[in-house]
Amino acid sequence: MDRMFPFGFDSHLAFYLVVYVLTLVVHVFLMAYVLAGSLWLSWATLFPGADATPRAKQPLARILRDWMPFALSGAITAGVAPLLFVQILYRQQFYTANLLLGWRWMVVIPVLVMAFYLLYVVKSNAVGRMSLPVRLGLSVSIAACFLFVAFCWTANHLLSLDATVWPEAYGSGVAVKSGFALPLRLLTWIIGTFPVMSILASWQLRGMRSRTAASDPTVSESHWTALFNFEHRRLGTVSVAGLALASVCAAGYGATLPPSVRALLIGNTGLPWILVVIAGVLFQIAGWLFQFRRPCICNRWLSAISLAATITLIGVASLREIIRLTLVNLDQVTVATKAAAGVGGFELFVVFTILNVGLIVWCICLVQSRNRQA
Amino acid sequence: MEPARYNDEVSGATGQYFPERYTMIDMYPVNDYGPLMPGLVMAAVAIVHVFLAQFAVGGGILLCYFQWLAMTGRSESSRIFVHGYFKVLVLISFVLGALTGVGIWFTSIQVSAPTIGEMVFNFHWIWATEWTFFCLEVVAGYCFYRYHNQLSDRTCLTLLVLYAFAAWMSLFWINGILSWQLTPGDWLTTHAVADGFFNPGFWPSLFFRTIVCMTLAALIGCVVVNVIPALSREQRQELINKAAHLLMPMLAMPVLGAWFLYTMPSDSRSWVLGGSPAMMLFFMISVGASLAIGGYAFLGLWLQKLYVNGATASLLLLLLAFGATAGGEFVREGSRKPYTVRHVLYSNGIRPEEVAELRIHGCVTNDPYPVIHETSLPNEMVTVGAKVFRRQCAVCHTMEGSNAVAHLTASWDADQMRMNIAKLQQTKPFMPPFAGTAAELESLVQYILWVHDSRPNDWRDSSESATIDQITKWLDEAGTEPADVSSRKTPVATATRIDSSESEGSAE
Repeated sequence: MDRMFPFGFDSHLAFYLVVYVLTLVVHVFLMAYVLAGSLWLSWATLFPGADATPRAKQPLARILRDWMPFALSGAITAGVAPLLFVQILYRQQFYTANLLLGWRWMVVIPVLVMAFYLLYVVKSNAVGRMSLPVRLGLSVSIAACFLFVAFCWTANHLLSLDATVWPEAYGSGVAVKSGFALPLRLLTWIIGTFPVMSILASWQLRGMRSRTAASDPTVSESHWTALFNFEHRRLGTVSVAGLALASVCAAGYGATLPPSVRALLIGNTGLPWILVVIAGVLFQIAGWLFQFRRPCICNRWLSAISLAATITLIGVASLREIIRLTLVNLDQVTVATKAAAGVGGFELFVVFTILNVGLIVWCICLVQSRNRQA
Repeated sequence: MEPARYNDEVSGATGQYFPERYTMIDMYPVNDYGPLMPGLVMAAVAIVHVFLAQFAVGGGILLCYFQWLAMTGRSESSRIFVHGYFKVLVLISFVLGALTGVGIWFTSIQVSAPTIGEMVFNFHWIWATEWTFFCLEVVAGYCFYRYHNQLSDRTCLTLLVLYAFAAWMSLFWINGILSWQLTPGDWLTTHAVADGFFNPGFWPSLFFRTIVCMTLAALIGCVVVNVIPALSREQRQELINKAAHLLMPMLAMPVLGAWFLYTMPSDSRSWVLGGSPAMMLFFMISVGASLAIGGYAFLGLWLQKLYVNGATASLLLLLLAFGATAGGEFVREGSRKPYTVRHVLYSNGIRPEEVAELRIHGCVTNDPYPVIHETSLPNEMVTVGAKVFRRQCAVCHTMEGSNAVAHLTASWDADQMRMNIAKLQQTKPFMPPFAGTAAELESLVQYILWVHDSRPNDWRDSSESATIDQITKWLDEAGTEPADVSSRKTPVATATRIDSSESEGSAE
């Protein structure tokens, strides 16, 4: 491990790592939307604000309520691929952590089912007739479900990294590690979801603005412009604050790592990715600050921020794997991936990926043309 | 040639690695589910998921049919049905179906990590391909769900066809992996993914499942028709009769079922057809429930002699269809015994080629996990016995709960128990051979006897050499091969089989 990740590894291992990281990033985008969105909705319901329109009825909250069920469905579906490849890369670590957490891990599924149905309740028209405590209860319950799932994943991941504690964890039944690593890592991910959600919601707000303005002639253009620009600024503020705080938490988590891991992170393997992440974060902050000075959101800058966020996430996911590969038995992972590479079917995957991406794009085009059809 | 062993210095975890087969044999912790055996937990999740997933697949086909009826003017009320049905599909299938799908993965890990690991290892690109169809299914489904009111009929049909295609293709892919577990066919010699995927059980299983999907969709359609308030009695009658068209392929079920039975290995077929009372019972439940649905469909829906109201449809659906699905899945899972992947992995996660090795070195020698409540066990021998039970028996048995070993061995004395376990694959042909040393077998026997004796505080250590010698003799007589060895086509892997033979030789 003396070259930039993933080049310093066996070619088969590097290949699976790249596939894993890329599919994980797709999942993280949707997961971030759901987690940060649910927290935002809780906050907006709890603190309606002093405006004539309460926060929970403003465009951002409406968009989140409308799209979160789909985003959760997408996050779960997108999560299948990294869940598959983690079993190729880290079979023993992942399975053992699952088994040691036992029912505490399995409960993730019913919790997600509950969150899913509550999202549909919050999206329904019936929510408008509910009292504030009920709406607050719903929003907080949804956020609590997603936070619990985030906690379980973090606990699972950290447990999978430290095989020395497995026998004791099994014997004692205490599988969740204490110390600073878990809360700091969890906070990094939770806070880090807000910048991603802000970007996705900004794109949605752009689309919503044009459609709403066109469909409601009673509302003046200037009113919509002011409202949506306010929402964009708010998202920008959330994003900048999220990036700064997540960076602090990530640095704190880094401090909890063993010196050997830290040495690798600041060596040839990890340093380029740390620089990529820092550059990505700074570019996103600069992009949002630039947006604040403009009267309205700019497509070009939003695209640039989105690209920077994607690169940042790839960098973060790569650093996550560097840490993991330092702590697990690298020979075992190398042998496993080399063996997996000998199993056929990759060509099939490529062909059907191209076909299905094409069909997905076609579906979206069909929907985009709905105004013409109507 | 001795298989290479490694000791994970970083983690302290242990395992074996057979470079010839490129497989990793990992030692995993085993969870105790109290009176429930892990297999029951797996069955519960699997049956619910299969039921929902098959509904999703059939639902797509049904919706395409009704959309076509609506847009061609054959049934105007179909339009109302399509919109109502899709909401049910989204709320049930997209939510519960998707999450129980992930849940089944998690449950598989809990129940038998080596089995799911083997499946993922050999078919990960097939699974990844299936994933691309999941993505298409979700996108096409949501596009229809959100925008169908704003789209032309033709576009709606296009989206529904794409949804149905993606849903059915997900069945296509997973069917190959699941049927491979029972009938791996030529894959055993070639290890080619295509041979494993298009195994002997693939086509009958695929066609059979497709018909089950259509049946479930039609029956749920009958429920939905009855709960849409906008429909009159005549419209409901018409829609139910149209939905019944998807029940007609059930006529092919007996032929497809017979085809599937024909492709099954002869020993597995014998369990289903009377060799195992439990499996026979579930097989009959599945057949009986399917016949009842088919008969009702023919009389009530095809001949239109009966009107199906919500309660009837619900009863038919929930009791009969669920019963048929549960029975069918139980038979599918159970008929693989003593394997989870035929000739590759036994139910307890031990490989056939490992047995000879474990007979020499022991199955719990490297087990780093302590026995829970170890201090309550009277001596080291019983503790080892508890570990052996955990490694070799716990996936299908409990000690005193369901399928309890204490109950199954209640009438055996100590020597009978020693001999029966040593010759396990001959005593019970659907059981794998014992995969441990004679001393470990004696430890297991002592553990069971200790439980029989109401777990006293003091227990005699019985490792007399005469006893161990007798057990060794029985183990050698039984050999390390499974009971079905005569039906075996080809050794799994030449290299490791040679290893096993050498190990056996050295044991002698």
